[in-house]
Amino acid sequence: MTRLVARAWWCTFALALVAATLVARPAGAQVSQARPVTDAPMSPVTFNQHIAPLLHSRCAQCHHAGGAGPFNLVTFDDARRRAAQLAAVTGSGFMPPWKADGHPDEFVAQPRLTPADVAVFAQWAKAPVEGPGTAPAPPTWPQGWYLGPPDLVVTLPAGYTLPSEPSDVFRIFAVPLPVSRTRYVRGIEFHPGNAAVVHHANIRIDRSDGSRRLDQADPAPGYDGLMARSAEYPDGHFLGWTPGQIAPLVDGDLAWRLDPGTDLVVQLHMQASGKPEAVQPTVGFYFGDRPATRTPSILRLGSQGIDITPGDGSYVVADHYTLPVDTTLLAVQPHAHYRAVDVTGTATFPDGSTRTLIHIGAWDFRWQHVYRYTDPIRLPRGTTLAMHYVYDNSPANPRNPQTPPARVRWGQRSFDEMGDLWFQLATESPEDRVRLGSEVQGKMTTEDLIGLDTMLASSPDDVELHDDAGVLALLLGRPSVAVSHFRASATLRPTLAAAHYNLGTALTSAGLLDDAVASYEKALALRPDYARALSNLGDTLVMLGRNQDAVRRYEAAVAADPAMPEAHNNLGAALWKRGDLARAERELQRALALRPDYADAYFNLGHVALRMDGARAAAPHFRRAAALKPDWVVAAMSAAWLLATTAESDVRAPFEAAQLAEHAAQLTGRADPRVLDTLAVAYASSGRFDEAVRAAHEAMAVADGALKKDIAQRLAMFERREAFVDKR
Amino acid sequence: MWARASWRSFLAVVAALAMSRGVAHAQPAVVGLDGRAVAPLASAASATVLLFTAVDCPISGRYAPEIRRVAAHYAGDGVQVWLVYPNAGELPAAVRAHAAAFDYGLPVALDPGGVLAVRAEVTVTPEVAVFDRAGALAYRGRIDDRYLDFGVDRPLPTTHDLADALAAVLAGRPVPVARTHAVGCAIVRHEP
Repeated sequence: MTRLVARAWWCTFALALVAATLVARPAGAQVSQARPVTDAPMSPVTFNQHIAPLLHSRCAQCHHAGGAGPFNLVTFDDARRRAAQLAAVTGSGFMPPWKADGHPDEFVAQPRLTPADVAVFAQWAKAPVEGPGTAPAPPTWPQGWYLGPPDLVVTLPAGYTLPSEPSDVFRIFAVPLPVSRTRYVRGIEFHPGNAAVVHHANIRIDRSDGSRRLDQADPAPGYDGLMARSAEYPDGHFLGWTPGQIAPLVDGDLAWRLDPGTDLVVQLHMQASGKPEAVQPTVGFYFGDRPATRTPSILRLGSQGIDITPGDGSYVVADHYTLPVDTTLLAVQPHAHYRAVDVTGTATFPDGSTRTLIHIGAWDFRWQHVYRYTDPIRLPRGTTLAMHYVYDNSPANPRNPQTPPARVRWGQRSFDEMGDLWFQLATESPEDRVRLGSEVQGKMTTEDLIGLDTMLASSPDDVELHDDAGVLALLLGRPSVAVSHFRASATLRPTLAAAHYNLGTALTSAGLLDDAVASYEKALALRPDYARALSNLGDTLVMLGRNQDAVRRYEAAVAADPAMPEAHNNLGAALWKRGDLARAERELQRALALRPDYADAYFNLGHVALRMDGARAAAPHFRRAAALKPDWVVAAMSAAWLLATTAESDVRAPFEAAQLAEHAAQLTGRADPRVLDTLAVAYASSGRFDEAVRAAHEAMAVADGALKKDIAQRLAMFERREAFVDKR
Repeated sequence: MWARASWRSFLAVVAALAMSRGVAHAQPAVVGLDGRAVAPLASAASATVLLFTAVDCPISGRYAPEIRRVAAHYAGDGVQVWLVYPNAGELPAAVRAHAAAFDYGLPVALDPGGVLAVRAEVTVTPEVAVFDRAGALAYRGRIDDRYLDFGVDRPLPTTHDLADALAAVLAGRPVPVARTHAVGCAIVRHEP
């Protein structure tokens, strides 16, 4: 019940705002000059009649006792105290804090004032009188949680004190989220704890221990520095808080997944009050009852190669991306630091028409809103999204943190500069999401690598930057770049086993297998029980055809760390290949006991089961592998092949096989001959011979060698309306 | 603007009357935390700084560290810095708590009638006035140029107007820019 009441209040608020009309940022000042005197209110402006309704609907949701604002604006005394300030800040557009242009109803919860409202404040400041009559009763604000009682409340650690200076302080806190089973989160509500100093919060989720380790390394609560790469927006959702903004709860089918062991990461931007201040925010979580079926995607445009010469007053960062699938734009979030002055995002539609998605003509670093569209915008395939930011690194920019201006490059510290525009996009299908996601991930990771190169240009001996760059280069499939970064790192820290291990992994990816073996051996000379190095060395030995040596290394790996699922899986796979099926099965089962959703182990177990007990035993394992890793083509293809072609006719599942094969064909863009061959046999086993023939022709067109001959034989069978049965 | 102009001229008249009539009936317009009259400008200091502040003004609070630094730096030169609370309705208990929380360590004057504010020609908090040994107003305005407007401020100041003014006064030179614009919370007078 409380939740309904609270939500109703929020809705009323949003509706009230929709009624306001557009005030472009400088308009307040212009209007007070240009507006004819006759447009001024006829009678004297009074608190009771004019000011109180404005304050109560536009200002007091933050500026009330316990709200996010630094002082109250509810009563006559509150307002009279600030009459001149009210006129000044509404006239300049500083308050209410809404920085974007746009139609009055374009974004959710825009606290806007009309030009007439601004004129009312200006008029009242000249003679701040109260009566006649009585003021309307102020709204009652929900005590506690606007979104209702949370399902989980997490409080940041006590004991952090913000010092009296400097003016802007950033601090990152990593807090374990105490859930004992997987939850699906529909939203969060952030309470700053000390509204006088907490200005905004960047909120992420870390599914690794990356942020936790950084926090623990600092003896005080939280840590200074950068957000870990592993601290992410979860499943395509923006999290974060600016005063006055509480994101509404999303539908249950959009919820994001919260697994046990996940940390909440909160970066607080605080403004000193002039005296030491205790700061302890609280975050409420709201759970849904089911996993998401429509997970949004996140696209980030921008540049990490920013390099602005001192004095440059109009440096431009621009980027664009053309959507490969139909999408709907739900929200955007611009991000830049002190030197940015003008921020624009646009969409150019396939018909050539354009639309401004966001424009902030007087960028203010302190107000990092998420802008959620009241009516999400359909962006068909072929739409080009673009961002165009202008920076002023001249002395004319008062917010320039360096006097005189200095060269500034990309970086996450507030004195560095950034330029990102984040888009939250909904796709029409999971397949479209995978397609968009893989493209976007590649684009964003490429830019991240540029950012690391930018930072390495000024700190060439920073081993952590080299390590991050090596990891990203591997993700991007650029192993030789990874080798050079990890080699630099290993040279800088020759006695660190992990550095040689990293170099070994990159060398393996680059195909320099003998060098890789040497690097792993170096790591193991420094740390003989290094389980990951033993396991990876085993992998490299398998690639070199040294299976017996590999088994020995895997055995050492599981001895060194019996809780490492990869080592058990790899040992199982190696044992399977040398025909040691019973031992292989045991190791794979151990891997699965340690990691129940381990797709690779199911896949290997499927092969072992096929050899030991046949298709009936193998089928469930292949199915699990394909289901656990939906974008793993080989798993989908293997499951499809078995279910379509097994000689055990009662295990065959032609319809399911066709679905799996179609999925694999979509993932590979119908360009892989083996996948298309699998698709053809799956159609044939369903009796869909015409489709089988077409798929086999497609496969023939891209196949060669022995495979092409096999497909030709099968094609002939399909033309005779015969299915293919794998007798092996 | 007329409202403020009117109280200011009104108070100026009161002050003039008080002086001409020998202050027999005037309440002690400027008092310390103990309620006794104080006279910050009747001292032998080589220079006197009045820092106008308020218990409920965020920008005023943010200047506390800078004020402490300036006061400490010039204490040896015989400069006396006063915290002045010029708003009508400031309660002594709240002022006492405020001055302690921000750890100013400076003498406090409550100026609910705005006598010192008029003398110093200030209109907002935080704003400072520097008087020379002879009691003449040598500088009035901002502490430094951190704030350009509400919501527009520099991470670090590029000028230190108060410190520069003090240096000039102590050296017997005129202050180069004797009046500057301060950004802050308007000083309020309640009409009777």
